[in-house]
Amino acid sequence: MNPLEITLGIMTAVGGFVDISELVFAAQAGSIFGYALIWVFAVMTIGIMTFGEMSGRVAAVAHQPVFNLMRHRLGLKLGLVTLFASVVSTLITTAAEIGGVGLVLHYLTGAPYLLMAAVGALVLGASMWILPFKWIERTYGLLGLLMLVFAAALVAIHPPWDQVLGGFVPQIPPGLSEKELLKYGYFAVAITSAVLFPYEAYFYSSGGIEEEWGPKDLPNNRLTTTVGFALGSLLAIAILAISAQLFRPINVGPQIPGSSALEAAIPFGRAGLLAALLGMLIAIAGAAVETCMANAYSVSQFFGWEWGRHRKPWEAPRFTIAWIAFMVLALLIVLTDVDVMSLVEYAIVFSIVVLPLTYLPLMLLARDRNYMGQYVNGRLANGLGWLFFAIVTIAALAAIPLYLLTSGGQA
Amino acid sequence: MRPTDPIKLVADLLDLPIQDKEGRYCGIVDDVELSGSAGKEMRVAALLVGPGAYEGRLPVWCYWFVRKVAGDRIVRINMDKVNQIRSVVQLKCTANEAKLHAVENRARGWIPKGGAL
Repeated sequence: MNPLEITLGIMTAVGGFVDISELVFAAQAGSIFGYALIWVFAVMTIGIMTFGEMSGRVAAVAHQPVFNLMRHRLGLKLGLVTLFASVVSTLITTAAEIGGVGLVLHYLTGAPYLLMAAVGALVLGASMWILPFKWIERTYGLLGLLMLVFAAALVAIHPPWDQVLGGFVPQIPPGLSEKELLKYGYFAVAITSAVLFPYEAYFYSSGGIEEEWGPKDLPNNRLTTTVGFALGSLLAIAILAISAQLFRPINVGPQIPGSSALEAAIPFGRAGLLAALLGMLIAIAGAAVETCMANAYSVSQFFGWEWGRHRKPWEAPRFTIAWIAFMVLALLIVLTDVDVMSLVEYAIVFSIVVLPLTYLPLMLLARDRNYMGQYVNGRLANGLGWLFFAIVTIAALAAIPLYLLTSGGQA
Repeated sequence: MRPTDPIKLVADLLDLPIQDKEGRYCGIVDDVELSGSAGKEMRVAALLVGPGAYEGRLPVWCYWFVRKVAGDRIVRINMDKVNQIRSVVQLKCTANEAKLHAVENRARGWIPKGGAL
C-alpha cells in the first residue's frame, strides 16, 4: 500500500462527503431538535461505510461496478424499474446541487442566481471534459477540505461537549407533541437518505473500476470507507452541533445554505465566512459532478456501453453524451426557477425510495462466493448489510407518508 | 467457466455484460438462441444483443416504447466467439469484428476530439 495514495483517498472521501442535502438537513436538524439527531448521522455513517466497502470490494474483485451486476441479478424488468427510479432521483439531486452552486456563487459575487447556476454548470461540464477521473475526484475532494472550517468553528464556540456526545446515543427527545414527533421522524428519514444516497454506491464502485482496483487495493478501500467516511460524517455532525448551539436558542431556522455559512462567520468573522462559502461551493460542485457521472455510469453500465472518464470523452462516446445530457437536463430544471430547497427535499424523498433496490443486489453479489471467492462477505459485513437493508426499507416505506404529513418538515 | 460447460441460463448468462478481447464493453446478453429440439440436448447456439432482443422479456407497451427510442436491432454472437463466462462474457474477437460497436462508432462521430487530458 502506498501511504500517499491512502492519505489522498481518505482526504478525498472527507472532502467529498458533504453535499447540499447534508448541509441543509444538518443545520435544520440542529436548530429544531438540538443534538438529538446526531445519532442518525452516526448510525447511517456505519451504513454507508458498510455498503461503500462492499461496492468497492465487488469492483476490486469481480471488476464489475454495481449497475453492471444489478441487471444480471434483478433481471431486465425490475432492473429497468430500478434504473428509471435511480436516474430520476439522481437527476433531481444533480439539479439540487447545481442550484446550490448557483446560490453560493450568488452569495460570493452578488450576480443573479440563475446566471450563476448556468455558469457553474458550464464550468463543471468543462472540468468533466478536461480532467480524467482521478483528477476530478481528487480536485473536488481535496479542495472540499475547506469544509474543515466547520469542525474548527465547533471547537471555537466551546459547545457543551457532554450534550454533543449525548447526541450520539439513539434517542427520541421526551415531551414532543405528535406533530413534532412526525417531524423528528421526517428528519431522521431525510438524514438517512442524505447519508446513504444511492449515487454514492454507483460513483464509488465505478470509481474503483476507473482506477483499475484489484484485490491488492482492498485495504485502501476499507480505510477510505471507514476512516474517510467517518471523518466526513463528523463535518456534517459539526454543522448540526453548531446550529444547535448558535441558532436554536434564538429560533433561527437555517433553511438555505447561506445560513450554514454563518456558522463559521460567527467565530472566525469574514475569513471564516469566506472559507465556509468556498468549502460549500466545492463540496456542492463535487456532488453535482458525482451525481451527473453516477447517472451516466448507471445508464451506460445497464446497456453495456463503453464508459469511464479514464478514457478520453470520444473513446466512450455514448457515456459522454449521457453525462452531458444529464448536466443539461439538470440545468434546465434549475432554470425553471424551481426552489432549490424543494429540489433538495424531492431528491431526498425519491432517493430513499430507490435505496432498497440499490443495496439489495449489492448485498446479494458481495455474499456470492462464485463472484467474490475468498473476498466474500464475512459475518460482520453480512450482519450489518442486512441490518441496514432492513433500516433503509423501513425508511423507504415511511418517507412519502412522513413527507406528506409534515409538508416536507415544515409543518 | 468455458462456453461448452453446462450453464444455468438465467443465473449464469442472461443480462451479463459483454467485453471484447481488448476489454472494451460492447453490450449485454439480452437473450440467447438455443439449438436442439424436443427430447434432444439443448445447446446455447448464440448470444443475442440489442434492444430487439427485449421482445418477449418486457410488457408489450414497454417494448413498444423501447423500440421507438432505441430501434429493434439484434446482433447475433455465435458461441464459438465466446472465450469465457465469468462476471462478464469475454469474447475472442473485437467489438467491431462482432459488429457490436455500430452505434458506439456512430456516436463517436458526434463528439469533438480534443481538449481532454
